Amino acid sequence: MDAILAFLTVFTQPELLLLVGLGTFAGVYVGAIPGLSVTMAVSILISFTFSWDVYPAISLMIGIYMGGVYGGSRTAILLNIPGAPSAIATALDGYPLAKRGEAGTAIGVTTVMSFIGGFIGIGVLAVAAPFVSDFALKFQPRDYMLLAVLGILLVGSLSEGSLVKGIFAGALGIAIGAVGRDPLTFTERFTFDIPLMQGGISFIAVMIGMFGVSEALMQLHHVDKDAVRQKISRIVPSLATVKKHLPLSIQTSSIGVVIGALPGTGGDIAALMAYDHAKRVTKNPERDFGDGAMEGLVAPETANNAAVGGAFIPMMTLGIPGDAVTAIMIGALFIHGLNPGPMLMVDQPDMFWFIVGALVMANVFMLIFGLTGIKLFTKIVEMPRAVLIPLIMLLSIVGAYAVNNSLTDVYWMLGFGFFGYFMRHYGYPLGPVILGVILSRLLDDNWRRAIISEREDLGRFFGGLFSSPLSTVLFIAVILIFVSQTPIWTRAKARLFPARKEVKQ
Amino acid sequence: MKRFVLGAVSALVLGASAAGAADYPSKEIQGIIQWGAGGSTDTVMRSVTPHAEEALGGSVVMQNMTGGVGAIALNHVAGQAADGYTLLMGAENPLLYKVMGLGDKDYGDFIPVSILARGTPILVANPDAPFDDYAGMMAYIKENPGELRVGATGPGGLPSVVTAMINTVEGEMDVISVPYDGDGPALTALQGGAIDVMPAVLGAAIEGIRAGNMKPLAIFDVAANDKLPEVPPVTDFNDAYNTYLPWGPFFGVFVAKGTPDDVVAKLADAYAKGSENPEFKELMDNRGFSMMGISGAEAEAFLSKWQQGTTWLLQDAGLTKASPEDFGIARP
Repeated sequence: MDAILAFLTVFTQPELLLLVGLGTFAGVYVGAIPGLSVTMAVSILISFTFSWDVYPAISLMIGIYMGGVYGGSRTAILLNIPGAPSAIATALDGYPLAKRGEAGTAIGVTTVMSFIGGFIGIGVLAVAAPFVSDFALKFQPRDYMLLAVLGILLVGSLSEGSLVKGIFAGALGIAIGAVGRDPLTFTERFTFDIPLMQGGISFIAVMIGMFGVSEALMQLHHVDKDAVRQKISRIVPSLATVKKHLPLSIQTSSIGVVIGALPGTGGDIAALMAYDHAKRVTKNPERDFGDGAMEGLVAPETANNAAVGGAFIPMMTLGIPGDAVTAIMIGALFIHGLNPGPMLMVDQPDMFWFIVGALVMANVFMLIFGLTGIKLFTKIVEMPRAVLIPLIMLLSIVGAYAVNNSLTDVYWMLGFGFFGYFMRHYGYPLGPVILGVILSRLLDDNWRRAIISEREDLGRFFGGLFSSPLSTVLFIAVILIFVSQTPIWTRAKARLFPARKEVKQ
Repeated sequence: MKRFVLGAVSALVLGASAAGAADYPSKEIQGIIQWGAGGSTDTVMRSVTPHAEEALGGSVVMQNMTGGVGAIALNHVAGQAADGYTLLMGAENPLLYKVMGLGDKDYGDFIPVSILARGTPILVANPDAPFDDYAGMMAYIKENPGELRVGATGPGGLPSVVTAMINTVEGEMDVISVPYDGDGPALTALQGGAIDVMPAVLGAAIEGIRAGNMKPLAIFDVAANDKLPEVPPVTDFNDAYNTYLPWGPFFGVFVAKGTPDDVVAKLADAYAKGSENPEFKELMDNRGFSMMGISGAEAEAFLSKWQQGTTWLLQDAGLTKASPEDFGIARP
């Protein structure tokens, strides 16, 4: 009974409702601007809401979080510049749609699917939080390492065209991620004794440069061509469309919740893995992936919004953050006199239900704000290129500077922008570079932890792989997915199953 | 370029005119937090500063500047004008930069405005570990050399100092040291069974202990802590620890050397008042931090004693890159 009352707190207090709405609205725009991140917005809010009560403060933060995760898709679809790392996969099929004049449809589908994904995430948080957090805790360093290897195998689905070029790009990303002082031993790597390199290369700067600046440079080739007129006939997707993608969205949402709940991985990896999953399970997409497939929008957007609910699971049950934003929220709860930790659910169960309620409301607001104002947004792509290109450059520079308030990041961003331009020219895909940077540390740190834990003994390491069911399953998945991308598999499949068109997976 | 020079000159002039303490603060003050959002330093600074702002009658805009174990933020503040408009909000790490080869600046280039509070280290274990206290752990290590996995957070972190202390007092332990990004991720790994034992700051472990997700082995202090009165101090097991304890990480607010004395006094006064706030005191108590609230000569003395003790401990354990002697840090 108390739980229901706490859950309904948001709905019954207009002030809280207003704050969630305000937060979500702001979040959509913060998320849409590359470089302005939800993490940054929430940490500013901590000082800003210091003197408030805890409920209003948390309401505003949850609104920003939910809206921001969704907002990243906006610029990804319209400009091919992901507003946040979790929207990288969205750009792959969203931007081709905008180029065809179907940006309105793309945003509509994205919004509804984010809403569905968000709800699945919140549902799992409400019903199965203790169970999921127990599962997430079971992940050992070697399991994180296997997860990272699984992630690296996505290179195959992210590289249109040449796989070899994709592998090169992925390896480059991993190398970029390794630059700077190694966080475990503080040894310098790839720094060449230049002080500037010690702090490493900001991942956001690489992303903005590779997608934003290189896109602006590509557009320069078509300055004189007219922009594509956008059809805005149908924004809200039909019930049939939603129904058709429902099975896929439930699968990708589950990926989102689990990856979101794992401490150390978040919405960005979840969205990329979901995209890969969609590519595997979709037999006959209406359009090819990379060319504007609806499934390519559905998968990452359901997964990254489901990851929001997932990230709250270890936070509420154990006081362990599921990602960077929940880490800051734990700090906020401390400041407001609460003690987030395993006892929070026992001492203050109302806080848990209040957060679930606020998340539900934020998700609803996200749907409302997402579906309104699309017309205005699509005007962005219809702008003449002479206005659009400088605008992209300006946004990229502001975004790169805002990450750490450092001019160095702007130089990195510009450098990677030019580099990305030439990579595109020579047919090297950019997706795998970003994938490599995201996974670099996950792979490196956890491999080292795993092998150090086994006294640097490979025999013991492989013994460990088969002593835990979780590691065994992950290891087999890595091998299967790897083999399925080699010619051996295609040949074997043709010989073994001549009658069946596609084996499952 | 011309405009830039003009701007720079006028900024300098403005800065110089604002340096007087009579009207300090006449503009926004920047507070640079050495560690990421949501961490201990961040939480402490964001909760004390609003109270200090009230006493100061000005506003302090806080910003996290991470990287290089906090060295990036430290170097940034050191490079700003010494006018009291840029504050460094940091933890104990900079005192180890020189011997760890992480930089050539430390708190010696700063004036302490206030050392706010000190944390107490505690040794915690996974609840399934086959021992229940410090003595049991030592016995287990002797019987199973090279099997126990102890969490670490890189050279110079709290676990490395505590481990160095144990090695000095008890003789070299044969354990596996598994590095993590910070005590948060390491304590998560402890609960998941990836490591067996972790030296952590009391505040980070206390909720996990209360819930039974980890068990306390010993408090690294000379007396039991009010928050966990049933956990014995490590000096109960071995007297030799009295030489090194009490020891702990701390949080402080600093300004660059050369800041006018009256500005420092005003800031110190504001932070002293801010840290008296009952809400802040309660927060610190809940997280298991001991209030210090010292400034001026007292703070300087505390810093140099801390640096002497810790750097030589790490030096004797063979963990340093350069000897403290090279930087004129005398053996305690």
